[in-house]
Amino acid sequence: MHKNKSAFLLRHLLLILFLLFTAYPMLWMALCAFRTEGDAQAHPLAIPTKLVLDNMANVFRSGSFGSAYINSLMLCTASVAIAVTISALAAFAFAQMSFKGKNLLFYLFILGMMIPIHVTLIPLNRLLGSSGLGIKGGLMALAGPYIGFALPVSILILKGAFSSLPKDLMDAARVDGCNSIQVFLHVAIPLSRPALATVVIFNFLTMWNEFSFALTLLGPGVRTLPLALNDFKGEHDIMITQTSAALLLVVLPLIVVYVFAQKHIIRGLTAGAVKE
Amino acid sequence: MTTMQTRRFTPWLFILPALLLYALFVAWPIFSSFEMSLFHWDGAASKPSFYGLKNYAELLSDKVFWYSLWHNLLLLVGSLAIQLPLAAFLAILLHYPTWGRTLFRTAFFAPMIMPTVAIAILWQYVYDPGNGLLTKLIQLIMPDFEYAWLATPGWSLLWIFVVICWQYTGFHTVLFMAGLSSIPDDYFEAARIDGASELQICLHVILPLLKPTAIVSATLSIVGSLKYFDLVYLLSGGLPAESREVLATYIYRLAFDNGQGRFGYGSAAAVMLFLAVLVIVMPFQIRRIRSGLKEA
Repeated sequence: MHKNKSAFLLRHLLLILFLLFTAYPMLWMALCAFRTEGDAQAHPLAIPTKLVLDNMANVFRSGSFGSAYINSLMLCTASVAIAVTISALAAFAFAQMSFKGKNLLFYLFILGMMIPIHVTLIPLNRLLGSSGLGIKGGLMALAGPYIGFALPVSILILKGAFSSLPKDLMDAARVDGCNSIQVFLHVAIPLSRPALATVVIFNFLTMWNEFSFALTLLGPGVRTLPLALNDFKGEHDIMITQTSAALLLVVLPLIVVYVFAQKHIIRGLTAGAVKE
Repeated sequence: MTTMQTRRFTPWLFILPALLLYALFVAWPIFSSFEMSLFHWDGAASKPSFYGLKNYAELLSDKVFWYSLWHNLLLLVGSLAIQLPLAAFLAILLHYPTWGRTLFRTAFFAPMIMPTVAIAILWQYVYDPGNGLLTKLIQLIMPDFEYAWLATPGWSLLWIFVVICWQYTGFHTVLFMAGLSSIPDDYFEAARIDGASELQICLHVILPLLKPTAIVSATLSIVGSLKYFDLVYLLSGGLPAESREVLATYIYRLAFDNGQGRFGYGSAAAVMLFLAVLVIVMPFQIRRIRSGLKEA
């Protein structure tokens, strides 16, 4: 029994070591958001004697954070809505209908998960620029790429859900006179809520955090939240407490979502990994 | 599997919206990259002119390109050799009865949900040469210690790799935990009854059964290592080109940094990145493609 006990302690010790590596930088930074700048510079490792809310207030007062919040919210909501709707339609066809070239087409969609988005930056810059669609620089420019690259994982997850629907139920709906779109809307969608929730939450998170497309395709006056945060860091580099406050404001909503929807987020991130 | 009876064009109506957007924003740009890589096109204002394969010839003798590829490969090997074993180890530790298991898992995975910009900023403060968290911690032991973590050519990639491990190890730990939980408890019981030590169980029961998870994890790591952009771009800005780039950041800088506008040359680099991913991922995918083609 003695040996088991020391193994138990050693195991927890190792886990706590890794926990420190993961959590300590985050907690340190979160704490910085509530310190005075002088305190943070002079005693960065000490427990602060006084906590303040000025930093948070300053972030809101200075700069583009408010509009970046609204931009990200609008862009992500619209893009997720469109991406999930058209993914669900396609996934339903892949799961429940038969047609020529189905497997190949499905595979081509799934292959999209492997594609590095940076291969598409130069062509998309041209496609969306003034010689193409002419929407580069504005928020709209991001919707296309965001939706396009959300399709593979969404179709994969939703096809899995639609494939596992009981066949009898489909047949019964058909016998009752439903056409394909009615079966989709009234049978498949209501029965696949968990998978739909996964797809919505996961895509929202991915788009909310996206950096490369936004960096390339947005104009100087239009910012999403990651870009606004990056700008803020550039302008307030030496003010660690201000930057920490900005960072906390960006990350806090994500932590809340994570705590409540952990299962969905993990499922979304690992979807590409689960073999069929 | 049996499917619904539908009219012949019905499936296509369902697929069409997704197919159109996918073709326009994902598939077409890849073909376009191939085409543009054959043109000499420097600067948005200039006209592209046909250049044949000269961009590729130039690329082959471009030192920065080879360094970029080398850095991708270093990150790839690092992920496979350090990150995955660490993740598997943590998952095995957590597989035994553990106090606060959910807390550990939740915290380990948490960096995956942070925007990479936030991760980069956090670690810039950890790595600050004089006043950073890490520097200060070392100063507790060595009071005069100062080190420009992210501005030391040759070493900065290692410190970026630490950040990558910080972000992704928890993700792979969760993958391995899922793999472990699918192994029936009887296997462990049987091995214990036969008198196997915990170490023997690890080596001869757990590890072989984790192989499928390890393959999945490795595939994701390999593809991920070739795709790295955000953290490298945000953390290595202060370095000379030969020691800061991976392929994706090099493509971006060629085309968009400070109005360089080398769209043709950048496209050639993009095609190389695409081919690298294809060559490395294809062996894992051959069977899927075969089944797809047979059906078509």
